[in-house]
Amino acid sequence: MQTSTLILVLLALSAVAYQLGRGRALQLVGGPRRRRDLHSLPAYYGLLTAVWCGLPALVVVAGWQLLDDRILTALVVDEMPAGTRALPPGELSLVLNDVRNLVAGNVAAESVTPAVAAAAQRWRRLDALGHLGASGLTLAVALAGGWLAWRRITPRLPARNHVERIAERVLLGCSLIAILTTIGIVLSVLWESIQFFRLVPVSEFVFGTQWSPQLAIRADQVGSSGAFGAVPLFAGTLLISAIAMLIAVPVGLFAAIYLAEYASRRFRTLAKPVLEVLAGIPTVVYGFFAALTVAPLLRLTGERLGLEVAAESALAAGLVMGIMIIPFVSSLADDMITAVPQSLRDGSYGLGATRSETIRRVVLRAALPGIVGGVLLAISRAVGETMIVVMAAGLSANLTANPLEAVTTVTVQIVTLLVGDQEFDSPKTLAAFALGLVLFLVTLALNIVALQVVRRYREQYE
Amino acid sequence: MDLERQQQRQTVGDITVPDPVICCRGVNVRYGDKPAIRDVSLDIAHHEVIAMIGPSGCGKSTLLRCLNRLNDTIPGAVVTGTITLDGQDIYDRQQDVVQLRARVGMVFQKPNPFPKSVYENVAYGPRIHGLAAGRAELDEIVQTSLQRAGLWDEVKDRLNQPGTALSGGQQQRLCIARTIAVSPEVILMDEPCSALDPIATARIEDLIDELRQNFTICIVTHSMQQAARVSQRTAYFHLGDLIEVGPTERIFTNPRHRLTEDYLTGRFG
Repeated sequence: MQTSTLILVLLALSAVAYQLGRGRALQLVGGPRRRRDLHSLPAYYGLLTAVWCGLPALVVVAGWQLLDDRILTALVVDEMPAGTRALPPGELSLVLNDVRNLVAGNVAAESVTPAVAAAAQRWRRLDALGHLGASGLTLAVALAGGWLAWRRITPRLPARNHVERIAERVLLGCSLIAILTTIGIVLSVLWESIQFFRLVPVSEFVFGTQWSPQLAIRADQVGSSGAFGAVPLFAGTLLISAIAMLIAVPVGLFAAIYLAEYASRRFRTLAKPVLEVLAGIPTVVYGFFAALTVAPLLRLTGERLGLEVAAESALAAGLVMGIMIIPFVSSLADDMITAVPQSLRDGSYGLGATRSETIRRVVLRAALPGIVGGVLLAISRAVGETMIVVMAAGLSANLTANPLEAVTTVTVQIVTLLVGDQEFDSPKTLAAFALGLVLFLVTLALNIVALQVVRRYREQYE
Repeated sequence: MDLERQQQRQTVGDITVPDPVICCRGVNVRYGDKPAIRDVSLDIAHHEVIAMIGPSGCGKSTLLRCLNRLNDTIPGAVVTGTITLDGQDIYDRQQDVVQLRARVGMVFQKPNPFPKSVYENVAYGPRIHGLAAGRAELDEIVQTSLQRAGLWDEVKDRLNQPGTALSGGQQQRLCIARTIAVSPEVILMDEPCSALDPIATARIEDLIDELRQNFTICIVTHSMQQAARVSQRTAYFHLGDLIEVGPTERIFTNPRHRLTEDYLTGRFG
């Protein structure tokens, strides 16, 4: 049975179990009129039965999905000729790949060795058997679980409390999935980074000023030294983020002040969604806006002024990134400003302060921690932004503070290092993970600090 | 019946005083379409404490907020009639609202110290109005204001700590110090003790009595005992009308209007 069919069958079984459980509860006390003799509402008995029917069976399905490939492989390898089994792991996995390809029908049966063909035969048979067994086991578990729960129903069974506990577990499970996924990602990045740092010393990566990840394939190849000093990347990221923040913070903040303090209600309801549309534009669109519109414009302007502007300049990327971040800053700052209690404004007006004095000296002062938190979040956004810089910032790892030159960023390099066919044991590929780790650590630190600041501020007025 | 009710709503008692500092005549306020107070006329004398009492929603806070034009900040609020301060119409087109609010200070229901230090809270008004020529003069103003508010001894060692770190009663006295730092003529108090415990309330009431030497005080209160303790004159409001006004002692011992009597004896409110 297909897994999807199996799940549909499980759902149907659970629905039946619900009806049966509910019916039994009512029947035990003698009909709906006497349902007050039950500990819980009849629906809870139904729910409990349905959960016992569906949930353990679902666990079996999930377990099978996770394990079947491994079990099959082990069984197939077990039956292979002794010579094949004795192969080193790398070659064995090649043979197994052939088997899998044959099973999937990707290669013709004539083109493989008889041993592989035999293994594929076995694989198919075992797979069919496994599926049948797993389906049978699942249905058996479902029926057994449902039946046990149904049997246990008595008028005094606190079904309501049981359901409550199950609900809590399910919620806990969901949050664990999110947390475990994060940990998994971190660990995998960490693992590859450690591989990288075995090949390239940490000090060279963190302090080296030369970035040239192309490795020589032949001994006489020129210009492929394989230097992994990431300082130019950090500097480029910093430069572009700084330009972006120079645009986004003042514009976003002032827009927020206008919207929160001065704008009429009509203008506000009109302007706020429009401003937030900016946040909804895909970054790749910003990317070609930067590369095709802003960069040439800057170059042209630069020429008029007698300045040398690179076709892909840090300035163009930074400007557009700043525009992208404006709504982010403004909507956070707007929230913070609106959260400042009216009583503080009244207090200031009551002392004869004007509106701008009140905003400058009282409102912004009160909202400052929240605004700082928002700006930190925006910075972490700018540091991690990829698409705009890939399209507009360029690839050359220049160590420069001149915004008119082309620079490259951490994210751009990760993309270029991993695009195309790559081997996963060369420092060039592994460098991407080390860069990812750095990026992750920086944004994590920024986010933690920012959230801390924002939270402390929120508590102050609630 | 209607006519009788109309007559009943006419203000009882003497609304005028000799040499008033504030003079309200025929004041009407509405928020959008909702009338808040109707045709209120009332004088407020120099150096008196006048208490405004009445059930919730009777318009006493609304009248108070007219006196320093704080209603201007509420969208949809419309004020008609005349209110004069020292003979000058405060709703006049020429009137500088900022100047007016420096002359008519306000203390609010909930203590609302700014998120600044104790010192900066008090220095805020003098700073924005440029009342002090130098740091020494500003220090002087801050100290006298805190002393007059009876807070100096408690905070003189922690002037640089945030004002929000003080206790509720201290915060309210800080707000009073902040208000008197700009030397207003009139101080409006909108239920200044409703968020405070009885001991802090007693301190504020003593303070109000002392402040009467230098300021005119209008206090809105829900506590009839408080009105009786701190004020010389009392005005009773009911559903947007000024029902009765007179010397506090007379109002409390011998109310002339039936509504006032009902309220004071606790028949409603």
